[in-house]
Parts: sequence; C-alpha cells; structure tokens
Amino acid sequence: MDFSEGDLEAFRPRLRHKVCFRVGFACPDVDDIVQETMIRFLASVRNGKLESLDSVGAYLNGICQNVILEYRRRWARDGGDSSDNGERADPHTSEMDLFEMREAIALGLSELSERDREILRAFYLEERPKSEILAMTGLADENFRVVLCRAKERFRRIYNSAVKHRSASYQ
Amino acid sequence: MAGNHGDSVEREQLILRYLTRKLDTGEAEEFESHYLECRDCYEELRATELLIYALGQIVVDRAAANDVAIVRFAHRTELTKASLDLRALFETVRLQNESKVLIDLANVSRIDSAGLGMLMNCYCHAVKNRGALKLLNPNAQVKKVLNITNIDSVLPAHEDERSAVESFRQSGT
Repeated sequence: MDFSEGDLEAFRPRLRHKVCFRVGFACPDVDDIVQETMIRFLASVRNGKLESLDSVGAYLNGICQNVILEYRRRWARDGGDSSDNGERADPHTSEMDLFEMREAIALGLSELSERDREILRAFYLEERPKSEILAMTGLADENFRVVLCRAKERFRRIYNSAVKHRSASYQ
Repeated sequence: MAGNHGDSVEREQLILRYLTRKLDTGEAEEFESHYLECRDCYEELRATELLIYALGQIVVDRAAANDVAIVRFAHRTELTKASLDLRALFETVRLQNESKVLIDLANVSRIDSAGLGMLMNCYCHAVKNRGALKLLNPNAQVKKVLNITNIDSVLPAHEDERSAVESFRQSGT
C-alpha cells in the first residue's frame, strides 16, 4: 500500500486541525506533533501495518492520539500542567487564519438576510433543536435546510478560496 | 454516525457538538478519524467554524461614550468553557479602536475559569495598548466569582454606566 505525496499532503492540514483542537492553537509544538505523526504513519505503512485503506483515518488518528499523549506526558514531566493543556484548547480556527479571512467573512455575513441570521444564530449559537426553531419561525423543514445549506455554501467558498490563496502564495 | 453524509442537519449537529466539545471521547475520535480521510466533512467542519465565528461577531454589540468603547452581549449568555461567545468577546475587544474598554456583563448569567481567563486576556490586550478595561453590571453570582478570585482588584466592576465611563477619566487612563 502506498500513498502519493498529494495524498499525504492532504492529510497534513486536517491533522493540524485535529492537533490544534486537542492541544490548543497557541501551542508552539503543533507542527512538531503533526510531523511526528506523519513520520510514524509513513513508517507503519512501509512496514505493511496498515491493512486496509478503509481504516486509514482511524489508523492515522490513533497514531496522532499516541503522539499527543506522549507530548503531554513529556510536558508534564518537564514541569508543565498536562491536564490543563486540553482545557485551554480553542475550539475555533487560528487567529492568523481569521485575520486573513476577515473581509471575506464580513462580506459572507452581510450577504445573509436578517431572518437567516436569526435562524442560524438560534441553531449554532443558542443550540436550539431544529423542531423548536421551526416552531418559533414557522419555517417548513425544507426551508430550514435551504437556509442552512445556503449559508454553509457561502462559508465553504470563503474557506476554499482562502486555502487556494494560501497555497498560491507558498508557491 | 460520523460517516453519515445523508442528512445535512444531522451532520451540522454533529459538527457543532464536536466544536463545542459535547461529544464523548469515543464519538469525538470517531468523527476525527472520519474527517481525516473525508475531504467533504473536513470542509464542512471548517465552513461551520467560520460561520459560527461570523455569527458570533454580532452577538456582541459595541457602543462608544466619549473615548470609551462599551461592549455588551446582545443576548443572555454564560461566559463558560463551552460558550462560543468567549471568542466573540475577545475578538470584539481586540478589534476596538479605543484602548479604554468597558465590558457590560448585564446579560452574563454565569462565569467560570475559562470566562475569567478570557476577561484577563481582554485586560492584558487593553493594557498592552496603554489602555484600561473595566466591568459593568455583573450579577451577584459573577460578582462573587470576581471577588473570590480577587480579579475585582484588577478589573473593577461598576453598577452605573455613567460613573464607569467617568472613572476612566478620573484614573487618568
């Protein structure tokens, strides 16, 4: 079983996100953890330990979890507070990413109608169940899905164009 | 569950629960294993993060009195670890033009260590910019937490907006 360089590079940002989510975006060792995970993953693949492509995500995730655990143990041994590490993890995207996308995000938001914002706010920020939002707004299930999909599509485009812009600037 | 692409609302609920750390360990790992190999779900996750961030921006209202920025929550909220409003608050304070910031806590019903940490981050940001940060209208529970942790000695809380704004002038900040 072999992976092309493109396959492996596709894993990197996703792994990075997972690591940031677990140890916090402010952690200075995120890239080291990602790199160590990739190295171990490649070594395992070369040794034929990955038996099926169907389980590649779980396999990679397992390796990454181990690397994070080792990192936390090392951190605790060196005097840090390992239990605190995950607690501080920021559930959101990094400040650098947000800064780069700030204008696009503001534009994306301005394109949503006030009614759509209310619905999205109730769903994402107030975490109200769909049934309650439907009752509150009088929307049909189908319309609720349209609001959700339309907003997600806009923000998916913002994310993808930021990724493209970033990879173009690296070349 | 994690691999279910069929129902868009269910997938959004899963992503939201992941981002707000409401999935149990097994569910979270299952979802991570899935998005590591699924480009669609990873893109959905990132798009949801951006959308939540954008929506969070309007959870916090801004106003100005003299050269003091007054930041207040538009809806009732809790400044706790799971709250998405924490980030919105910090971003609002960070993007202020004014270096003197008054945070109105009238709509904050509860605060925990994450919320206190975020208030201190806001304070550090204001101080770094040669400004000051004060609090307005904390409820009894929030006031008690501020007192127990001694944060009220660094971040004074006021009951009245006018006197709070005036206090910036008096303290020379």
